[in-house]
Amino acid sequence: MQSWRGKSLWLALSASWLLVLLRVFPLLRLAVPARPWASAPQGWPHWLDTELLPSFSQPGELPEDAPQPPQAPRGGGCDWGACFDASKCRTGGLKVFVHPVAGPISAAHRKILASIESSRYHTASPEEACLLLFLSLEVPAGECSPVPQQWNGGRNHLVLDLHPAPCPQTFQLGRAMVAKASPTADTFRPGFDVALPLLPEAHPLRGGAPGQLRQHSPHPGVPLLALAEERGRWRTAGTDPSACPWDGRCEQDRGPEQTHPGGTLPNATFCLIPSHRPDALHFLQALQAGCIPVLLSPRWELPFSEVIDWTKAAIVADERLPFQVLAALQEMPLTRVLALRQQTQFLWDAYFSSVEKVMHTTLEIIQDRIFGASAHASLLWNSPPGALLALPTFSTSPSDFPFYHLQRGSRPVGRFSALIWVGAPGQPPLKLIQAVAGSQNCAQVSDRFFPHRAISTDAILSLDGHSSVTTSEVDFAFLVWQSFPERMVGFLTWNHFWDEAQGGWGYTAERANEFSMVLTSAAFYHRYYHTLFTHSLPKALRTLADEAPTCVDILMNFLVAAVTKLPPIKVPYGKQHLEATPPLVPGGPEPQPTARDCINQMAAGFGYMPLVSSRLRLDPVLFKDPVSVLRKKYRSLEKP
Amino acid sequence: MVDEVYMLSVFEKSAGYHSVLSLEGLPDPQRTHVMWATSKDFGMSGLRFGTLYTENRDVATAVASLCRYHGLSGLVQYQMAQLLRDRDWINQVYLPENHARLKAAHTYVAGELRALGIPFLGRGAGFFIWVDLRKEREEEAACVIMCASVKYNIRGPALIPRMKSKHRIYYITLFSIVLLGLIATGMFQFWPHSIESSSDWSVEKRSVRDVPVVRLPADSPIPERGDLSCRMHTCFDVYRCGFNPKNKIKVYIYSLKKYVDDFGVPVSNTISREYNELLTAISDSDYYTDDISRACLFVPSIDVLNQNTLRIKETAQALAQLSRWDRGTNHLLFNMLPGGPPDYNTALDVPRDRALLAGGGFSTWTYRQGYDVSIPVYSPLSAEVDLPEKGPGPRRYFLLSSQMAVHPEYREDLEALQARHGEAVLVLDKCTNLSEGVLSVRRRCHKHQVFDYPQVLQEATFCVVLRGARLGQAVLSDVLRAGCVPVVIADSYVLPFSEVLDWKRASVVVPEEKMSEVYSILQSVPQRQIEEMQRQARWFWEAYFQSIKAIALATLQIINDRIYPYAALSYEEWNDPPTVKRGSVSNPLFLPLIPPQSQGFTAIVLTYDRVESLFRVITEVSKVPSLSKLLVVWNNQNKNPPEDSLWPKIRVPLKVVRTAENKLSNRFFPYDEIETEAVLAIDDDIIMLTSDELQFGYEVWREFPDRLVGYPGRLHLWDHEMNKWKYESEWTNEVSMVLTGAAFYHKYFNYLYTYKMPGDIKNWVDAHMNCEDIAMNFLVANVTGKAVIKVTPRKKFKCPECTAIDGLSLDQTHMVERSECINKFASVFGTMPLKVVEHRADPVLYKDDFPEKLKSFPNIGSL
Repeated sequence: MQSWRGKSLWLALSASWLLVLLRVFPLLRLAVPARPWASAPQGWPHWLDTELLPSFSQPGELPEDAPQPPQAPRGGGCDWGACFDASKCRTGGLKVFVHPVAGPISAAHRKILASIESSRYHTASPEEACLLLFLSLEVPAGECSPVPQQWNGGRNHLVLDLHPAPCPQTFQLGRAMVAKASPTADTFRPGFDVALPLLPEAHPLRGGAPGQLRQHSPHPGVPLLALAEERGRWRTAGTDPSACPWDGRCEQDRGPEQTHPGGTLPNATFCLIPSHRPDALHFLQALQAGCIPVLLSPRWELPFSEVIDWTKAAIVADERLPFQVLAALQEMPLTRVLALRQQTQFLWDAYFSSVEKVMHTTLEIIQDRIFGASAHASLLWNSPPGALLALPTFSTSPSDFPFYHLQRGSRPVGRFSALIWVGAPGQPPLKLIQAVAGSQNCAQVSDRFFPHRAISTDAILSLDGHSSVTTSEVDFAFLVWQSFPERMVGFLTWNHFWDEAQGGWGYTAERANEFSMVLTSAAFYHRYYHTLFTHSLPKALRTLADEAPTCVDILMNFLVAAVTKLPPIKVPYGKQHLEATPPLVPGGPEPQPTARDCINQMAAGFGYMPLVSSRLRLDPVLFKDPVSVLRKKYRSLEKP
Repeated sequence: MVDEVYMLSVFEKSAGYHSVLSLEGLPDPQRTHVMWATSKDFGMSGLRFGTLYTENRDVATAVASLCRYHGLSGLVQYQMAQLLRDRDWINQVYLPENHARLKAAHTYVAGELRALGIPFLGRGAGFFIWVDLRKEREEEAACVIMCASVKYNIRGPALIPRMKSKHRIYYITLFSIVLLGLIATGMFQFWPHSIESSSDWSVEKRSVRDVPVVRLPADSPIPERGDLSCRMHTCFDVYRCGFNPKNKIKVYIYSLKKYVDDFGVPVSNTISREYNELLTAISDSDYYTDDISRACLFVPSIDVLNQNTLRIKETAQALAQLSRWDRGTNHLLFNMLPGGPPDYNTALDVPRDRALLAGGGFSTWTYRQGYDVSIPVYSPLSAEVDLPEKGPGPRRYFLLSSQMAVHPEYREDLEALQARHGEAVLVLDKCTNLSEGVLSVRRRCHKHQVFDYPQVLQEATFCVVLRGARLGQAVLSDVLRAGCVPVVIADSYVLPFSEVLDWKRASVVVPEEKMSEVYSILQSVPQRQIEEMQRQARWFWEAYFQSIKAIALATLQIINDRIYPYAALSYEEWNDPPTVKRGSVSNPLFLPLIPPQSQGFTAIVLTYDRVESLFRVITEVSKVPSLSKLLVVWNNQNKNPPEDSLWPKIRVPLKVVRTAENKLSNRFFPYDEIETEAVLAIDDDIIMLTSDELQFGYEVWREFPDRLVGYPGRLHLWDHEMNKWKYESEWTNEVSMVLTGAAFYHKYFNYLYTYKMPGDIKNWVDAHMNCEDIAMNFLVANVTGKAVIKVTPRKKFKCPECTAIDGLSLDQTHMVERSECINKFASVFGTMPLKVVEHRADPVLYKDDFPEKLKSFPNIGSL
């Protein structure tokens, strides 16, 4: 029975233990005074007397700061407001004068000079100029160029220092701005200096190599990482995270790797670039290759960082966290990788591929500072076609341009203006005007030559006096243009080709399976291209176009293709084989020799051949289908 | 290795027990390891509790790391600690009882074995006996054991006590009590927290006056002055932030203390209302942690918002004695009013070494780009005054100056402007004739006219924000709130959050030198841009200026973006107002790029069991010149695909993928086998498409790689009677969808379809076995904002010859189902993304009067 008693004891013991736990413990807890609050880290306490706390600024103190006379800029430091006199620019626009360089100059410098001279901002007289450029030269003896004549304490001067040759400053910079290749972050003055890219010696003057990206998404099997090494080399590493991320950090097996000879471009999704300044050269290579730059704590300022949003094209990571960087790269969502890749290509093509682009971008940044409120919006800088091709003088509202409707959620204006070119005075083409005005979308008909101000609609229907179009052709073409506001939509086409025999470009008006140009004698396009045509093209090309009428068409097509990188669009045109051929296609099937020259001179002027061929035509959905005519909206298009 | 697991089960007193640990010295301390557990001695094998005694540090570390995977629950640890601590009970109650029982059981078994004549080894320990059964034949041996077990059952309590009903009740009661006890204990482990965070708050609420007082000796260390060359990669200890799956920094707030000097004089105001609000906001946010060892950023509770309310040297000393100060690394200070008379420095004068400074009123000379954060000066009026939003548009005054303390030189300039431009410019000043009172803050006067202060800002298009003694002005916040475009005239001022905010979109910055030209500068801004700026200004205020909380969270977000750049917010997320964000589309394939023709496309054929038709499709498709690979998705789990030898021989690689489930979504899965960007989805019964037609389709896709390029087109219509969307397959002049029975698209859309399809659309499609093509059309149109491209005249896939009876043969239920899909998807997407167009793509010379043999694509099929 002893065990039974023991059991009862047990039972009683446990039961009382439970009672104690349930009842006494909470009482004990409450009996204990509140713990010292420092050990109760449950967030910031809600004070009883919150309402009674004083405000950080006493009433009256905030609005009534003691008045203070304006401070003069401190010695040594300069910023835009204090050191640049923009008043001269505001009246006469930005005019740039380059100080003549004494003595022999290198090829690289000659390119810089040539590209500035080709800019629309260039002027030959220092009195007229509001910005004076001074080319800092590398002189072997270590002595630097003397102070130029109109130095004026460096006011309104921009010292160009494209190839970093640390030249002991023999003269004080004074108030001059410095445009330097990959400046160190410590000496860079944001909003005043301009950070340039570190260009290789052999960078082309204009045109330039296009980006290497051939497809949007990374090709499967392409290595994840390429690592920048010395002398422009790249080493690709596999996706294995245990492979050593960068030089000198690990002595183990480096994983699969291959070393490229100097100068070639990396073929990988991400390019790791170490922090030191000479590695800035790798940065441009990666950009061109469409390899997303991963900058490890860069000690230098990224090029044009004032306007370019580099977070859209590169990743700035902390070099102290190699494995975190690797993990983040591996886990990066495909959507982000796609966006970054495409942005690298866009930036390369828009701002870096030639010396001319780099220099024009520099001037454009300074122009933007002068413009202030009506400068390029960030969207214009950071999305295709880029700020060099989207002129803020046209409009400050992105919705007015043909390029940004998607981003802005807007649509082009649903009406168009017809612009009829009449070469010689004579009978106005009444029949044509009637046909065009028959379109219910037609807002105005005008026959003035390039009447920029008078055109109020986004779309322009450009016509020749001889053109003959029907109302339904115009209606359908306009509808198509609304889907593609950045392209030219035309009826008659030409095609360009490489002429092996002549060793140059040629073009033909013969009907073919492909086309790359539409004739402006009957075409829809955005009115912005008028502004671009007049203001951004080099004068030489425009004179060329003025001399030969066919060149105007070619030049316009070159321009639009260079902006969009896409072919124009052809819509059906009924009468081409009946009456319109001879007057509409000057030169006939075999263009005149001057016209042939024209396309080659244009290609030289652009530095490359921007035209792109297309093999399709956009027709109405039921075009020439064997279905009832009553179903069809554009019946008259099919009449022979 | 010594296992002493039966240490306490020695019931034969004479035998005794000597643990190896009781020796004077271990023979080889580094290589002797002793184990013990409660499973035998206390019969608690289920608790998995054991101990290891070792002097070898390496072994201890190695075993300790194992604990990560074999951890003991808190409950068990607690119980075991309680149990083992009770030595009296163990020595006087438990062990004697246990030994007595073991002995009784042993005696009984030994007796039985002896009776059976089986040799055995019974020593005075443990609850087992070694029995030697080698001499018995095997059946017998089995019998002996069985008999023995039968006997135990009959004979009652021995080793395994058979429970009588009385005992059973007893045990059930005992166990339930123990269980209840365990549950109660467990609850006490966790209860206190919930009590504290809910009801106990009221108990713990204290007054600021009760906070602990800390005395700072006069000679306590002072931090160095701020280091101007600090950058994130030099002065910030990023290791503290570590890898974090959520990509959020952890912020710790020091507890509030009151600092006094040697004489008991306080160093500063304990805390201001705004700083308390700021710390509360951080504490309520996702960034907050109360674990100082896991924190990446430290926020002192020492209030330095206004430099005028503190003693500089002593405050610095207070900072230096913070427990994790470490030269200020990873510490964040908030300051809105820096500097003091007479020279008004633009950054906080308190020496702070490497600490980050979130300051209002930085100039470019003191601001450490990419390290400090420029914040606004909070305007108390934001909370005090209710100011409803006023839409953009022309306002009564073109330019307004509302600041009271303006340097006389500037006031002269402003008044000259007013004289020149009359009504359009209004320059306000302090009211001199008002009776004294707090309200004077909210009144402004021009001559004898009195205006209500923040309200008058809504009457102006542009408002001047002029520097005072300090660069940062609270008026900026009021101006933005009124939707008035600020004209910032303060040279070298770093605008608030300028690292991420695009101030060009919301303000005009004019150099001080150009003050007299300000009117003409502003006149050159086009009206549309002004309205845009007014909207943007108001949005900036709502998002980043409105409250102390908004300011604090924006500051932390900026620092967070620097530390986790891969997860940083984009320019658009920072700057675009919600209305723009909603309407805009960012096309994932925005780069105008025509892929090279050489790359070709991958055809994906979805099939179930129509092998014959499948083989015909394969043969037809393989004739297309640009085909680079053919992928057959075998969707039938019950049947194996035909043998390799039976497949048609084609010139490109052919791969068969077997799926785990018969789902329509399998067609849009991003298979690793797809190497080209272009994908042709094709059904296993589409045999009418000609090779020219397919090749032309691919050429069209190259020009429009971001669109769906397909053959028969379909349309969605709004049914005004039913008030919903309707699916239309009539041959109309418009197209908004293409069928994916045969369609080209970018392989990225496969990824989107599989992983990013909104809502439950994917499951819905699989459940209904229909509408996967409509879902794809919705997805692509939604993400790109562009219409489909219909290619060639093709109108339908089935029955190409019977065009005459179209419309009559339509399956009504099919149409109803498809309409249902459109309505369902439109509701999931929250909008109708499809775009209607009236064009299709044909070859350039299609149906032109031109020799057929010279055309590139002569054989374009019929309807």
